[in-house]
Amino acid sequence: MIQEVKYLTVSMILFLLGIWGIFLNRKNIIIMLMSIELMLLAVNLNLLVFSVCLDDMMGQIFALLVLTVAAAESAIGLAILVVYYRIRGTIAVEFIHLMKG
Amino acid sequence: MTIETVLFSLFSSIALISGLMVIRAKNPIHSVLFLILVFCNVSGLLVLLGVEFFAMIFLVVYVGAIAVLFLFVVMMLNIQIAEMQENVLRYLPVGGMVGLIFLLEIFLVIENDLIPVFQLTDSTAHSALNFEMFVNKIQSIPNIEAIGQILYTHSFYFFILASLILLVAMIGAIVLTMHKTTLVKRQEVFKQNAIDFAKTIHKIRSAQE
Amino acid sequence: MNHFPIHGPFVAFLGLLCLVPPGAVAISWLLAPRTQGAEKRTTYESGIEPVGEAWIQFSVRYYMYALVFVIFDVETMFLYPWAVVFDRVGALALLEVCLFLFILLIGLVYAWRKGALEWL
Repeated sequence: MIQEVKYLTVSMILFLLGIWGIFLNRKNIIIMLMSIELMLLAVNLNLLVFSVCLDDMMGQIFALLVLTVAAAESAIGLAILVVYYRIRGTIAVEFIHLMKG
Repeated sequence: MTIETVLFSLFSSIALISGLMVIRAKNPIHSVLFLILVFCNVSGLLVLLGVEFFAMIFLVVYVGAIAVLFLFVVMMLNIQIAEMQENVLRYLPVGGMVGLIFLLEIFLVIENDLIPVFQLTDSTAHSALNFEMFVNKIQSIPNIEAIGQILYTHSFYFFILASLILLVAMIGAIVLTMHKTTLVKRQEVFKQNAIDFAKTIHKIRSAQE
Repeated sequence: MNHFPIHGPFVAFLGLLCLVPPGAVAISWLLAPRTQGAEKRTTYESGIEPVGEAWIQFSVRYYMYALVFVIFDVETMFLYPWAVVFDRVGALALLEVCLFLFILLIGLVYAWRKGALEWL
């Protein structure tokens, strides 16, 4: 039981790395999407660790759902990226400020 | 130092280091490859945790599908590596602040035993008893079977919901990426094959006459 | 930890998995003839001189295939446990799976009608 704290620490540090990736890579939107993927992975690991610890299967069902959402999110996010690249010719984040008005 | 501890240290250290490399690599392709390494090592961790179905699923979905999607997009966008060079230090104060706050919160949560399950932090006292987990001996079904028995009966709405999410993802991505330009004349195989040769010739002749 | 979960077949499979790729590389390293030279280092392009960089721009078509693959990969993930517990969960589960497949079939038909599966 106690051993699982290690897994929690790993998943939390992975989540932190995902947040850092979004904050530090302000120029490259592909790496931002990858960071989101990393964060979802960490959340999934967290759900699975708690599911094993607490002996509750709902955590694993939810992990399946998170996995589905991760796949859908990356598919749609990358599609938006492709369309944006086709229109603007660049994917630098600093030029995405047209919604500011 | 059991073999499990060794394996855990191996998997988790490689996962964390390559997670760092994902956000620090200059070349996006290296980033994707390090992301794949993170996924593989996390699935190793899941095997240690005892959820072998999820270990397999992580390999199949994350490495086999999502990482390949990322690779395709990186190849499709044709970005120069020089474009990716950037000044990290500009965002370091904000990023460092957020990171520090989160790190503090993590250690507060873990150290303070906010979670009642982990109150037994004295591991020596725990392992000195060296008891047998009889629950595991009596009822031990594979992970995949347990999921199957609950996914299609008790929580089938998650199952249906997942299919709706996938449908939305598929239709949304197709609507976004598929666009047919009318300016370019494309080859239409069916139409061209279906042309009646004799009639076409006849038409041209009648036009000449 | 007391509940170390790795079973015998799994360990055997893992060992085989660790042995096969290095084995394949080692066999080709042992058996393949080796030649040196500048010609050897160039990219193989069906015998023609390679033109330009290796990093070329792909077509969007590849993305459509990858996308459809991702969706059906995740779908397969949901159907795996059903194959294991097929005989115990009953007819209602069969109905659910049919509904699941039907909803995804709508997506496939949509992709087909929009021409996402054709190669231009």
